[in-house]
Amino acid sequence: MSIINYASKEIQFKIVYYGPALCGKTTNLAYIHSRINPDNRGDLVSLATAADRTLFFDFLPLNAVVIKGFKTKFQLYTVPGQVIYNATRQLVLRSVDGLVYVADSQWDKMEENVESFKNLEENLAKQNINMDDIPYVLQYNKRDLPNIAPTNYLEFLLNNRKKRVGSYEVVSSTGQNVFAALNAVSQLLLHKFNKESEPTRAAGAPAAQAAR
Amino acid sequence: MDSIPILTIEDVANIDAVLQDYLQKSESDLAVIIDKGGNVISQFGDHEVMDVTIIAALAAGSFAATKELARRIGEVEFNALYHQGNGSHIFMNSVDDDTIMITVFGKETTVGLVRYYSTSACQNLAALLRAMRDKPQENFFHFDASDIAASAMMEGR
Repeated sequence: MSIINYASKEIQFKIVYYGPALCGKTTNLAYIHSRINPDNRGDLVSLATAADRTLFFDFLPLNAVVIKGFKTKFQLYTVPGQVIYNATRQLVLRSVDGLVYVADSQWDKMEENVESFKNLEENLAKQNINMDDIPYVLQYNKRDLPNIAPTNYLEFLLNNRKKRVGSYEVVSSTGQNVFAALNAVSQLLLHKFNKESEPTRAAGAPAAQAAR
Repeated sequence: MDSIPILTIEDVANIDAVLQDYLQKSESDLAVIIDKGGNVISQFGDHEVMDVTIIAALAAGSFAATKELARRIGEVEFNALYHQGNGSHIFMNSVDDDTIMITVFGKETTVGLVRYYSTSACQNLAALLRAMRDKPQENFFHFDASDIAASAMMEGR
């Protein structure tokens, strides 16, 4: 759930990177961290095991541009992909505003991709969130590897819901399309924020309406 | 979920007044109010040297992680947690079902004093938050399409 603070003039949004184990969620955040000016981001916090597997989550706070005097802040989280950590995934999903689903394009990961996507739907349902209501995009990661499924097959597996979403061919290790996916989801959630503020503006802010 | 999407200047001033009083009485350095998703609702005190956003995310995680531990001994969750350092310490307690207060303090005070004053501060905050949730939300902020396009994050360096 986004928070708008009129005192500090900030709007906060939470974006979660979700996907099966070793699909490249942490690599996405590491690339974003390495490419954003330090003035516009905080530290990348990783709670990982000695073998660099995400144990709890990774976290990266970003400051986007100032709009009408308000700082727009995005908080990026990853979840641990390993199946056993489902309770942790549910915790990280708490008050999520937008999602990037990271799929591993390798043929032998298809079952895990589908399983993890199903797990995401179930975990969102526990928070009374429907996949059709939350802004999300799909990443088909590891497009540089040799044994990968074609994108139309991945689309068939993961993007065949009534509402089709944006999907990106990504190589998170080199950064290809990492920012394209992040910007796509951030714009989707800003549009949703606008849409949700419509009824309150109509009912509670005649002056603001007249000024439009 | 019962979260607080819109905080007016008055809301924040009310929360800050409670936090200021609490910090003075308990002689602590910093108090941060967060939701259990890790979002900062308000903060008061000396936070120049700390990244409050990161502290909030980690504290929410820490609070949530001990929930299972609490269940094993027949509790729903622990309503307070204390992390003891050598010079700086963190005390966290539940304000209500969705909100946590984090207190950072040093050698000037004791955990007993912090715990004592945090109880009444949390009761006052819970009442404020309840009132904020109950009143109709009025959001005057609206992005224009051009604002949204301009918000795209740039890949640099």
